[in-house]
Amino acid sequence: MFGSHKVKIEGELLDKAKQCADACGYSSVDEFVLHMLEKEINKVLPSDEGSAPSKEVVRKRLQGLGYIE
Amino acid sequence: MSRRLNPKILSSFLGVLLSIAFLSGCHRSWRGEHKLIIIGIDGMDPDLLTRFMREGKMPNFTKLAQQGSFKPLTTSIPPQSPVAWSNMITGLNSGGHGLFDFIHRDPKTMQLYFSASRVEGPKHAVHIGKWIIPVGGGSAEQLRRGKAFWEILDEHGIPNSVFRIPSNFPPVSAKGKTLSGMGTPDLRGTYGTFSFYTDDPTAEAGAVEGGQIIPVQVENSQVAANLIGPDNTFRKGSPPATERFVVSIDPLEPVARIAVQGHELVLREGEWSDWVKVEFQLIPFFGNVQGICRFYLKQAHPRFQLYVSPMNIDPADPSLPISTPASYSRALSDEDGEFYTQGIAEDTKALSDGVLNDGEFLQQSLTVLAEHRRIFDGEFPKFKKGVFFFYFSSLDLNSHMLWRFMDRSHPEYDAALASQYGPAIEEFYQQMDQILGQILPKLDEHTTLLVLSDHGFAPYRRSFNLNTWLLNNGYITRKAGVAADETEPLADVDWSKTRAYGLGLNGLYLNLRGREPEGIVASGAEADAVLREIRDKLLAIRDPDGNLPVITRVDFAGDVYRGPYTHDGPDALVGYNRGYRAGWKTILGAFPPEVLEDNANPWSGDHCMDYTLVPGVLLSNRAIAATSPALTDIAPTILAEFGISQPHVMMGQSVFLPGSEKH
Repeated sequence: MFGSHKVKIEGELLDKAKQCADACGYSSVDEFVLHMLEKEINKVLPSDEGSAPSKEVVRKRLQGLGYIE
Repeated sequence: MSRRLNPKILSSFLGVLLSIAFLSGCHRSWRGEHKLIIIGIDGMDPDLLTRFMREGKMPNFTKLAQQGSFKPLTTSIPPQSPVAWSNMITGLNSGGHGLFDFIHRDPKTMQLYFSASRVEGPKHAVHIGKWIIPVGGGSAEQLRRGKAFWEILDEHGIPNSVFRIPSNFPPVSAKGKTLSGMGTPDLRGTYGTFSFYTDDPTAEAGAVEGGQIIPVQVENSQVAANLIGPDNTFRKGSPPATERFVVSIDPLEPVARIAVQGHELVLREGEWSDWVKVEFQLIPFFGNVQGICRFYLKQAHPRFQLYVSPMNIDPADPSLPISTPASYSRALSDEDGEFYTQGIAEDTKALSDGVLNDGEFLQQSLTVLAEHRRIFDGEFPKFKKGVFFFYFSSLDLNSHMLWRFMDRSHPEYDAALASQYGPAIEEFYQQMDQILGQILPKLDEHTTLLVLSDHGFAPYRRSFNLNTWLLNNGYITRKAGVAADETEPLADVDWSKTRAYGLGLNGLYLNLRGREPEGIVASGAEADAVLREIRDKLLAIRDPDGNLPVITRVDFAGDVYRGPYTHDGPDALVGYNRGYRAGWKTILGAFPPEVLEDNANPWSGDHCMDYTLVPGVLLSNRAIAATSPALTDIAPTILAEFGISQPHVMMGQSVFLPGSEKH
């Protein structure tokens, strides 16, 4: 939807990222980097509530799971 | 100064590299002859299975258990299907794969969402008159983290096919054939929305749980109405796309003819149609989307009643990714016919709403299983090497809905209906036995078989309203004089005076400073103290009706989870006793008046409880050495079968090795 963007990580930073991903239990460096980005974005940017579906729409979507009324 | 490599040296160097790569590939102890078959049976319960085996009703399971092994399989915390299957898929628990419940919340907005995937329409658009032209398409994103076992198999060149495994929508990129399962939405982006057309003036029109009641008029024995498709984001306000259909009712016979987009079908009362393709035009000449649905003529006279299934994504022309390769769902539909693509196909809500009765629900469920068996019958004979996984949903959904027929203590038990439908669950188990009977003759010395379930089952007789209890005990404060909005979770909560809240089926969250926007509980010692205090009080609760403990364990996320997402979910997991579950309203953050109440819903069996009370099953044709095998052991087992070292993040170990007790 927003396209994609590749970031090249190399050398010492990549090495340290691998070590961190490993130590924290991530399944890959990619997953580690994405999770770190998401965390930082959540801290900095306001929530995306305006563009999110309404709570009623969400509720309707979830009802088909069977677990909620 | 420029330097050039001698082509001969370069060639030799590349040759050595290729040889090393080839040899390292050969070095893996992948035995070309070896095969692993995994049958995933959602909700197969060890106690019921043992009982049916003892009664001689499951001869193939009995044979497998006698010649190999049968053990309870420790389920996930909490024992909910998306979580449990993610444990199985990744060898991680929730701390590693990030799924904690069917329902997650965004702590900044309290917006709820389905934990395993997110489906969104296009966010950018150009407005031209009444039309909105989206820039780019919508998207579907899988939210499960961690690496799936078949991704690792792919890396090692092990062929594999994975059919309908939950928590894999949209399917992760794979070299083998995969078809997404639980978590796959219908064409409307919901997890199943049926339509019910009737001229009954007493029927309440509008949205009901998981469906829509649509009033129609019968004029000159004809009904004209609209089938409802996806929201049309090309139009202002995104109204749902619709397609006209006309029903001609025989004035004398209980028969109707349905005409939709050039298709004509005739149904008698009580008859289901085959799949009907419906094309929804979103923008003239440019945008259309295709779905499939099934009609059920419930009644022709004196009142017209027509059920239409949720509009499923057409496997022959999917509007969202549901398989790898993308063309595979079409190939399946060409070979085996159209099939339910929505993740939870059994229409439990139509039964809960009274739109389908027990017999009609059972018929629909049997059709779902027949479709799954047809695909299995087509695909299993093609399996020659590597790994074959196939998933069956029937025991789970039918145990949810039909448990009350074999439980005399259930508030919804009805002796007359029980005499009619009491054996239904047992018959679904027997169908699983028949499927196993097709597999057993194919086993040889090169083939390992695993039959497993994600969790067991228990009665759900009484509801515990966690948020009401938290309110009554001073952990939640509501704003005075504010009318509660039932559609918004915890809408009237005064967060400045609230320390904890419940969301989802087992989730207990602290109102944590720095995480929730108005958090008041400090991380560390204060948070630990509040959690311990709540746990101790919850464990002390007895149900006045029978004096049983309502909650038998409360686990803290920090104690039971391992991995980078450990603190992204609930702070504690509430484990209900058998017979109890989180109440229907508390799951979404509402406050019913009573803390404990009878469960008056046909949804009468459940498993979202104390995980130690609802283990799954594990059977194999080989000796299972692990004393307490767990779902997190399955991915390591699969890898070990092919000589692949398991990633160190995986928690368990092969079940064919002694030891191991993980969650």
